[in-house]
Amino acid sequence: MLMRGGDLEGAARQYGEAARIAATVENADSVASNAINQSIAYQWMGRDADARDALARVLDDPRRAFSERRRLQAELRRAIVELSLQNPVSAATFAERAAQRCPNLSCEYAATILNVQSQIALETSRAADAEQLATRAAERARSRNDRAEAANALRMLGKARRAQDNAKGAIQPLEQALAIDRDLADPRKILADLTELSLASSSAGNRDAARDYYERAVTVSRALQDTRGLAEMEAQLRRP
Amino acid sequence: MNATFVPPTRFSRLALKVNAFLLIALLLGAAFIALVAYKQGWFVHQTRIHFVTPNALGLNKGMPVKLYGFTVGSVSGMELSEEGVDVRLSIMSEYMPRIPKGSLAKHSREGSVVGAAVIDIVPGKPGPALAEGERIEFQPSRSIAEFIDDIRRQAVPAFNEMKTVLGQFKGSGEDIAVSLHSLRKEMEALPQTHRELRKLITTAERTAAELSTTAQGTERAMANVERAVPELTTKLGGAIESIDGAAQQLRKTGEEAQGAIQKARPVLERGDAVARDAGEVFNAAKRVWPLSDSFNETIDRELPIDSFDARSKAPKL
Repeated sequence: MLMRGGDLEGAARQYGEAARIAATVENADSVASNAINQSIAYQWMGRDADARDALARVLDDPRRAFSERRRLQAELRRAIVELSLQNPVSAATFAERAAQRCPNLSCEYAATILNVQSQIALETSRAADAEQLATRAAERARSRNDRAEAANALRMLGKARRAQDNAKGAIQPLEQALAIDRDLADPRKILADLTELSLASSSAGNRDAARDYYERAVTVSRALQDTRGLAEMEAQLRRP
Repeated sequence: MNATFVPPTRFSRLALKVNAFLLIALLLGAAFIALVAYKQGWFVHQTRIHFVTPNALGLNKGMPVKLYGFTVGSVSGMELSEEGVDVRLSIMSEYMPRIPKGSLAKHSREGSVVGAAVIDIVPGKPGPALAEGERIEFQPSRSIAEFIDDIRRQAVPAFNEMKTVLGQFKGSGEDIAVSLHSLRKEMEALPQTHRELRKLITTAERTAAELSTTAQGTERAMANVERAVPELTTKLGGAIESIDGAAQQLRKTGEEAQGAIQKARPVLERGDAVARDAGEVFNAAKRVWPLSDSFNETIDRELPIDSFDARSKAPKL
């Protein structure tokens, strides 16, 4: 309820308290569930280091009998947080551990794992690998009807293609990602799609389309009151 | 009289008209057959693959085969084999490059539980496509019992928490009973305290009288004290009587409260048992199929793990 109401601070505190109480009654599943939720709440607040610490309840406690699913969730979340903290090597380690708990990459988190691995590949200048992983992530997400991860995979595919100087090839997946994110009504992702589309159009030499996407991105960013994001986006677009 | 027969003009070139009519009917029939054949996919090249399942329950000839929710073929036939039932699938050849070796065929339902049964193809790792006649792995659908077990696993922690809370509530009830017992003891001691206060006041009166006779230098002051003491004594006497009344009232209330707690304890114990029973009934009701879709609280408690959160703070050029 607190998360839905936007009280991230209160939600993180409540999740921490719930995990503590669950530990007193030795309910390992509830400990893990609340620790993971607390990590997500901290990350949405921009407190990545606290998000990493919250996961220690699960990852640094080998004695407690957490289920394979909870361990996978915690390792996947840790990979996401490490990537957000610009630690791609550590992120790759945790993503690999999560992948080993997902047989044949056919579990419910397969698309998320592949998307994280794709992003790690892009961060470590392996754009071709990133494109291949994003393609697989898109297939997995579609097969499970997971629209949010399908859009993430298409966005990653566009980024990977742009990084390989294939800006024209990046436009189509990015437009598909934008269509899905508009259906899902997630403004953060819509902003990311429009920014990537603007950059890809600019790289492809279509300055009118780039300008159009840029103006739409600015409108979304202002509506989100994301002044930092707006400044970063403008700085990116001004680069030659 | 001229006997020559002259046919009516409306029957002129009759054979030609009849032939033209038959030709048009033939053409229309052929077009209809061609349309039906096209719609049935007779002109589309099909690739046959197959899988083997221990039993064919829920599988039917003609059942659609889907890839990413899109119909790409159908079940073309089934026959008994040594391993169980050999099920043949006809897939439109244009989609075969999307079905690499290592793909999986799953028996599932559209809309999870109540939709139409379909064969869902889950593609494997990218690689060479399955060839004509090749075998694909098959995964049977999950049974209702497995769905129920899933729900049960999710509901058990919630009921354990409820049980703990009820246990704590019962413990709190015992604490209140102990506190009221101590309070009652203190209230029983109040009349004794009251009597000792009276003695103290009497002693103070005597002392004051003695002081007035022995201390000549303080005679004026003592006279004032003598005036004040009786007035104070009257007021204190009234106050002590009020305290006495209040103490009796408190003692009575304490006794009533203790009685109420003693009566409430069995109710609490019964409440615990009833809650446990209700939990079991509720648990059983949740396993019944029509209700099972309505209980998603435990699932809702999990926040989504979204790879988007892993993004860098700004897009890279």
